[in-house]
Amino acid sequence: MVLAERNPDNVRNGKRSRGPSPNGHASEDSSIEEEADERIRVGRDYQAIAPDLIPLQDRKAELTVLQDRALLVWSPTVDIPDSKLDDYISLAKERYGYNGEQALGMLFWHKHDLERAILDLSNFTPFPDEWSVEDKVLFEQAFQFHGKSFHRIRQMLPDKSIASLVKYYYSWKKTRTRTSLMDRQARKLASHREDGSEGGSEVGSNTDSDSEEKKWTIHRGIRRRSGSPPRTTQVEEAGSMKKDGESSGKGSCSNCSVACSQTHSTPKGVMCSTCFNHWTRTGNVRPTMGPAKPRDRQFHVLLRHKRKPPRGMFVNHDDLIAMASGPAGLGEQMLRTMDREIVSLKRQVQSNKQAISAKRSRTSNGIDEYRPSDSTNRINARWTNDEMMLAVQGMRKYGKDFQAISEMIGTKTEAHLRNFFTNQRRRFNLDAVLKEFEAENGPIIENESKDDKMDVDIVEPSSPPMNSAPVSVQASLSNIKSIHKTAVSATK
Amino acid sequence: MQAHSKKRVCYYYDSDIGNYYYGQGHPMKPHRIRMTHNLLLNYGLYRKMEIYRPHKATAEEMTKFHSDEYVRFLRSIRPDNMSDYNKQMQRFNVGEDCPVFDGLYEFCQLSAGGSVAAAVKLNKQASEICINWGGGLHHAKKSEASGFCYVNDIVLGILELLKYHQRVLYIDIDVHHGDGVEEAFYTTDRVMTVSFHKYGEYFPGTGDLRDIGAGKGKYYAVNIPLRDGMDDESYESIFVPIISKVMETFQPSAVVLQCGADSLTGDRLGCFNLTVRGHGKCVEFVKKYGMPFLMVGGGGYTIRNVSRCWTYETSVALGTEIANELPYNDYFEYFGPDFKLHISPSNMANQNTPEYLEKIKTRLFENLRMLPHAPGVQVQAIPEDAVREESDDDDKANPDERLTQAALDKRIVPDNEFSDSEDEGEGGRRNDRSFKGRKRPRLDTKTPADANEEKLKSEGDGAKPEGKTEEKDEKVASSDDAKKDAAPNP
Repeated sequence: MVLAERNPDNVRNGKRSRGPSPNGHASEDSSIEEEADERIRVGRDYQAIAPDLIPLQDRKAELTVLQDRALLVWSPTVDIPDSKLDDYISLAKERYGYNGEQALGMLFWHKHDLERAILDLSNFTPFPDEWSVEDKVLFEQAFQFHGKSFHRIRQMLPDKSIASLVKYYYSWKKTRTRTSLMDRQARKLASHREDGSEGGSEVGSNTDSDSEEKKWTIHRGIRRRSGSPPRTTQVEEAGSMKKDGESSGKGSCSNCSVACSQTHSTPKGVMCSTCFNHWTRTGNVRPTMGPAKPRDRQFHVLLRHKRKPPRGMFVNHDDLIAMASGPAGLGEQMLRTMDREIVSLKRQVQSNKQAISAKRSRTSNGIDEYRPSDSTNRINARWTNDEMMLAVQGMRKYGKDFQAISEMIGTKTEAHLRNFFTNQRRRFNLDAVLKEFEAENGPIIENESKDDKMDVDIVEPSSPPMNSAPVSVQASLSNIKSIHKTAVSATK
Repeated sequence: MQAHSKKRVCYYYDSDIGNYYYGQGHPMKPHRIRMTHNLLLNYGLYRKMEIYRPHKATAEEMTKFHSDEYVRFLRSIRPDNMSDYNKQMQRFNVGEDCPVFDGLYEFCQLSAGGSVAAAVKLNKQASEICINWGGGLHHAKKSEASGFCYVNDIVLGILELLKYHQRVLYIDIDVHHGDGVEEAFYTTDRVMTVSFHKYGEYFPGTGDLRDIGAGKGKYYAVNIPLRDGMDDESYESIFVPIISKVMETFQPSAVVLQCGADSLTGDRLGCFNLTVRGHGKCVEFVKKYGMPFLMVGGGGYTIRNVSRCWTYETSVALGTEIANELPYNDYFEYFGPDFKLHISPSNMANQNTPEYLEKIKTRLFENLRMLPHAPGVQVQAIPEDAVREESDDDDKANPDERLTQAALDKRIVPDNEFSDSEDEGEGGRRNDRSFKGRKRPRLDTKTPADANEEKLKSEGDGAKPEGKTEEKDEKVASSDDAKKDAAPNP
């Protein structure tokens, strides 16, 4: 056959090596063979046989035979509003460990009956992650040996299917676990590498495109500086510590910067119980390796550089103590809870970002459409019946707060309303209206001594109702800002 | 921009599909389909569609296109018994680009099952748009794997559509030529294949502008050969007029769009410079025609961009706008550092000049003008088919058509100017060269003796093919008439 003679570099590999094809240099014979391959071929061996068109009258019969051989697992519904669906999904996720798909599957099973689905959630909680800690460690070790040869990895994890290994690999490869400082440190020590050659510790994984994708792996805060492992540095640093006069927020230790529930005020500043105990016992400030604090820069730049834990990493002593003294498994449970918390925070951050950008794109075209349109809402001194009704109702609601009423009507200024009040007081029996208002809201405190003075009809060009729209837009902008702030702080 | 219209969308996905692994260092990663799925879920698009878990296509279904032997081979080959199949592996081109991996057959079953189920769904008119990102494996041939593709789910899907649709249009926006699909329907006028692809020293090597189909299918294969660096603007400038023209002249009643995402910028194998938006515009444009619409996946080897692209295109199909900020998802870290949906083009040079694209367009329009007027086909073709179908099976009937084809080719080739100017050297002329070494009759530069021999052969087959030759001649004449008819049209 034609294919038998193909040399390994032939054009079919063009997908892999998209450089110029080596055809030109190949021998005449083989290039002819190859080019023969590069044509659309005609003949019984190559074309599909098109089926006959089924006449319209026969189609019904056919349709009954044809079953949907695909299984419907979800169909959209208009009965449940999006927000309710979101609540349901997050409940299923957080309380029962479902994923979004499973949660919707449950809802569909109950024919979109939200209540019944919620009740049923607890009966079918999905199997928890069947990967034990040992499995994960084994996987990582195997991965170091074999790279992505899942067949070989499987020899070390015989109870896992290849599919399960592949799935785990993809969820693991970009996670914190993979990129975390500790793990990489451990890997590094294990492979006895020199400082700074961390890239080489992953045997076999650098051979393909991952290396190109890999450059993003340390994008989130946890960034390892070169240098010695953070754990080993218990060097005395007390000298410098004593000068710390910084103001620490409540609930955090001024010595080691951890967040903790109990603090003790000392001449050296607020301390956590651990530092406090150390200080009372020894009289020295406890040596720490907490996060960077403004210290004596001149002396300790180098030293600190080496000791600094990764940016964004904080050690909470309360938690450490709880983990160390608590029953076995507690630590892991705590970590898992924290992981879940991180995930939900990240989720929140992204959805906040989406909300921000939605608002931004809505305002990017200008805010004109939010302004009251000129034609209908121009201020004029003429009173229509509707406006008069509104004014009376407004007084029932706001009393003599003419500004509020004018904003509500939109086409009258405060001055117009004062006028209206004096002129129409009788006609609409406004005093009775005001009495009703006072009965509900207490007596009206008069700012001005005499309302009747305001007889002159003054219309200023920049009238208050025109401003009302921009004000509300501004409010939403400040809303955006605050969302942004939460987003930013959540990322931290 | 046209308004997004709401359509009923069905989506086919099997949660196992992400677990298949082609092998270390292999660029094809089924995992991208799962990443897409996860993004859809977290964007809230999932809940707006009907979600189906496709059945696994049976061997019987696959043999609607593929040869029994080939399917049997795919079913039995495993990584641990490969050594027993050395000969067949070479014959079916399995081993190198198309490796034997764990669960290979199941993977093919799921991918094909999705496309077939989607086609059936469209036939039942139960849905306007069906999506199968696990499909789109457009290189697979009748008895041969090729370019990471083993079973051609697209051909299987189109065959299903052909039961209910007289004419089906196939559009391919993968960076590679959709050779498997084109070959499968090279000689039929019921399927028009339109492929936009990089051409010239590039896999799979086919897809010349002059490849226009053969026999009854002449003018029903449309190839748009492109150079490196296609950007959104150029792509639209060629896609829109050509597809409009095709729709106008071919008048299909169903469309299949292969959304290969390797035409995106920064693809590991591709060399175009499209953004997600530019890629998605094609979907939007085709969707606008509002006919039964099957969207399948395809290539795409920078997986984070593939999932971005297919997520966006799902949202286009649904007519829902989605935020540029990606929602948090299981594979969130893959999308750093910006965590945005849309990507920016690179500054690579676009080697497709407007003049070049204009030339291609003009030339293809000329070909499309050769099509008989579409409504006429509908009236004639239905009674014709029953007779024709059989003779199509008949290999021996084909030499006649090929001869005609070759003769016509000769007439056309000389006035083809652009590929001359572009690849003066080996590239463009290669096809002419390959005529010499050709063993298959169609592509031989035939001596009169050869032709006579073949004629004799086909005469030996009985009267039918002969009658067919005459019919064919008539047809050419009538299509020339059609050309004249069509000419005054704008």
